[in-house]
Amino acid sequence: MTSKQATVASFVESAPPGELSNVVADIKALASSETESLEPAFKKYNEEQYTTVKLPGGSETALISKYNSLGGTRYFDTASQTSFEVDHASQKASNPQQHPLDSRSADLIRSLQKSFSTATAEHFPSSTIGVFPAESDSAITILLIANKYSPQNFWNGRWRSTYMLDPSSNSLQGTIKVDVHYYEDGNVRMNTSKKVEIGSGASTADAVVREIAKAENKYQEELNRAFTALAEGSFKGLRRQLPVTRQRVEWEKISGYRLGQDVAGGRQR
Amino acid sequence: MADPFDAALDLLRRLPPSSTQKNLNGIISLRPELEEDLLSSVDVALTSRRCTKSGRDYLCCDYNRDGDSYRSPWSNEFEPPIEPEDAADLIPHGRVRRMEESLNAGFDVYRELYYEGGISSAYLWALDEGFAGVVLFKKASSAGGSAGKGGWDSIHVLEVNESATKRSAHYKLTSTVILDLGMSSAAVDSLELAGNLTRQTQQDLPLNGLRDAEVEQGHMSNIGRMVEDMETRMRNLLQEVYFGKAKDVVGDLRSIQPLSEAERDRAAHKEAISKMNRG
Repeated sequence: MTSKQATVASFVESAPPGELSNVVADIKALASSETESLEPAFKKYNEEQYTTVKLPGGSETALISKYNSLGGTRYFDTASQTSFEVDHASQKASNPQQHPLDSRSADLIRSLQKSFSTATAEHFPSSTIGVFPAESDSAITILLIANKYSPQNFWNGRWRSTYMLDPSSNSLQGTIKVDVHYYEDGNVRMNTSKKVEIGSGASTADAVVREIAKAENKYQEELNRAFTALAEGSFKGLRRQLPVTRQRVEWEKISGYRLGQDVAGGRQR
Repeated sequence: MADPFDAALDLLRRLPPSSTQKNLNGIISLRPELEEDLLSSVDVALTSRRCTKSGRDYLCCDYNRDGDSYRSPWSNEFEPPIEPEDAADLIPHGRVRRMEESLNAGFDVYRELYYEGGISSAYLWALDEGFAGVVLFKKASSAGGSAGKGGWDSIHVLEVNESATKRSAHYKLTSTVILDLGMSSAAVDSLELAGNLTRQTQQDLPLNGLRDAEVEQGHMSNIGRMVEDMETRMRNLLQEVYFGKAKDVVGDLRSIQPLSEAERDRAAHKEAISKMNRG
């Protein structure tokens, strides 16, 4: 890969949720010849961001990830038991084939699919899930992607949950990632990530799904508290709303103020 | 096809603000001819240097730079020194330098009152019908641990057009605040909130006075007040966007309260309201 190819690939990789097409349009205007080389970057983006595609022939959607990859550009979906081809640049699925679920834990996967689907509808206004055999069929991965796009209000957001269940030890662990972009007359990006360890104990699909909801609720509450901590901690410590005198500066008199350290009781810089 | 410069600015508004410098370098490597325009249009976090003559810190930007040398607003000299012919063009003197000195002194007090620390600098240059300048502030947050860390950079670019009568002047201000906040704790492995917001304003303001010193004082007060008003507005806006909007979007993605419960609450609430209206 040349350094120009690496540069445009990194632009694709860090594109904010819902704005990949804008980023690609900008790349085209800056370096149209480099857009030919973006196929691997699109694939990486789609697999990392759990991009959803409409399944050919129906209205169901499936997400794509490294966990449900069949190699090349083919992926499978557990719920509909189909496999399909994906064009990563256009994020369109085609060429469906039957793909029966083949796993030691097929029953558990199917109940997880059902339970998780019901549970996520209780918390996410809109989301897509995926439950797949993982780690050479020794584990089960449970994925969730939720997007909210509001480009007319200059903001977009994405929530990604990734869980790994080991059915032999019932241990459950995962990561939650949230990415928000606000861009009205500016550029503000929020990124948060949390590792979740739910230990062992949950063995049925319903129990696993309940543990996940508990962990996500706890995390969301902690996140809201963290926003407040930042607002009252480091944000306040940067610039006061008003000077300690509680009055605005009297600019006509400012040359009369004693400068620097003398003002407001002195301070180390 | 879109204009490359516009595409560059659009791209920088979408990619992570914490990587602006890296992405700026990347874009310049794709389109070297855009370098000068991009460097003067894109705001990145400010760096500082210590003025060896005065012992005070000052902020560095394109407007006080010549090659690898920067001009200290305190000593009015370039460090390391530059060729005398270039210095003659770039070092302000007379009226512009007087106003620059008085702005730096005034904003030094302002900085201590609002930032209680940090660094400030102001640089001015003459225009045909007035003058232009940049006012800079930089502050890092000392709070640590679970209260997080942070950095605030203000970049105010102003243009002043004086009327022939010198009774008033037209002031244009474009202000950008770069705000980076982050924390990591046991409960939230990592939370990063980084970005910048830009606002513009322009006003006609009076200058009371006939003698040069009075007019210069008038400019200083007008500029001081405009910058103070703008920073206050932007601080409130940043608080709203960083802690209001970002939090709201997370709430829009996922609801802690089960959605069916929320729907039942809403229906019960509507019922109660309509009962009140009927009764």
